[in-house]
Amino acid sequence: MRLAQRITPACLFLALCFTTPLQAQLSRGEDPDTGLRHWQWQEAGIHFKLTQRLPDQTRAFFGARGFDREARERIALACVFQTEFRNTAGNDQPPVEYDLSEWRVHTDDGTQPLMVRETWKPIWQEHDDLPKAARIAFEWALLPTQQEYAADDYNWGMTAYGLAPGSEFDLEFSWQRGDQQYTRRIDAIECPPDIHPQPD
Amino acid sequence: MLSKPFPFLLTLVLLVTSAPLAAERPPLINDPAPAPSFTLEDMDGKTYKLEDYKGQVVVVNFWASWCPPCREEMPSMERAWKQLQEEDIAMLAINVGEDADTIFTFTADYPVSFPLPMDQDSTVINEWPIQGLPTTFVLDKQGRIVYRVVGGREWDDPELIDMLIELQNQ
Repeated sequence: MRLAQRITPACLFLALCFTTPLQAQLSRGEDPDTGLRHWQWQEAGIHFKLTQRLPDQTRAFFGARGFDREARERIALACVFQTEFRNTAGNDQPPVEYDLSEWRVHTDDGTQPLMVRETWKPIWQEHDDLPKAARIAFEWALLPTQQEYAADDYNWGMTAYGLAPGSEFDLEFSWQRGDQQYTRRIDAIECPPDIHPQPD
Repeated sequence: MLSKPFPFLLTLVLLVTSAPLAAERPPLINDPAPAPSFTLEDMDGKTYKLEDYKGQVVVVNFWASWCPPCREEMPSMERAWKQLQEEDIAMLAINVGEDADTIFTFTADYPVSFPLPMDQDSTVINEWPIQGLPTTFVLDKQGRIVYRVVGGREWDDPELIDMLIELQNQ
């Protein structure tokens, strides 16, 4: 009896420690220095995080890689997020796969897909003067459209949602691990506003 | 009353939950395919041919200077390289889409002594099974891709160093 009294609370604590990370968990936050907001999802061995990128950040990045003003504006005003997708499960689990072309953006005006690498290719074909180095940087700066992650694998990259600065949307996103398909939704994500913060 | 079992279990929990922080070996690729060949120059005009490394384990990393995880893993690659070259293991970090001036500037902040061949028109990366940067491949002595690692790592982690040395000693 005494042994059971000692062990039961400890076992409950132990169980709590191991079950909590398996539950879906959405967190939202704001960087106190930059004011940039983020949305983070953790569940079943994946970590997915969206962080706002101000249009000025995107203008500067692609401007430094040879994009002209028109091309810079096209991407900068397309609701761009810095995105991280990571497989946090161990090697005892099957790899994780996703396909961004299956993800959907829901707004009051309807539903649309993300602007993935393949969406942008015909857009940039209209810009004959876009340097090859700029096209290469653009392709690899975006989060891969399809990817497979073994244990500890991850990518950082930009994702574009094709909405005006300051718009709000819900993101329906999915991934697969082995035979298990997961589809989840994050509500009320805010596209970064087109503001021009000045240093203090 | 809980003084004896509780610290023991707490220690156990901390040990188990902190385990994923240690590097995990990437899964060995079953039925490995030969790595696509390449001939590339570095910023000094020196030529690197993949075929020249037959008989050695080769670490092939693809990177760009604007890619944060690529930058982050570079110092650990340099520390790993200092151990691996003594084992006759090769390391090549192929820059994607940038010019010699950009790489030269980068190496002022991230000094490395392993080769940095340039894939300026992205011909080589498009022939390899890569979706995002950085991606690192480990080739066995027969030139086959036996490991693929997506995203940055601490390459001087003993687990990863041991993995490479074991492969070289096979």
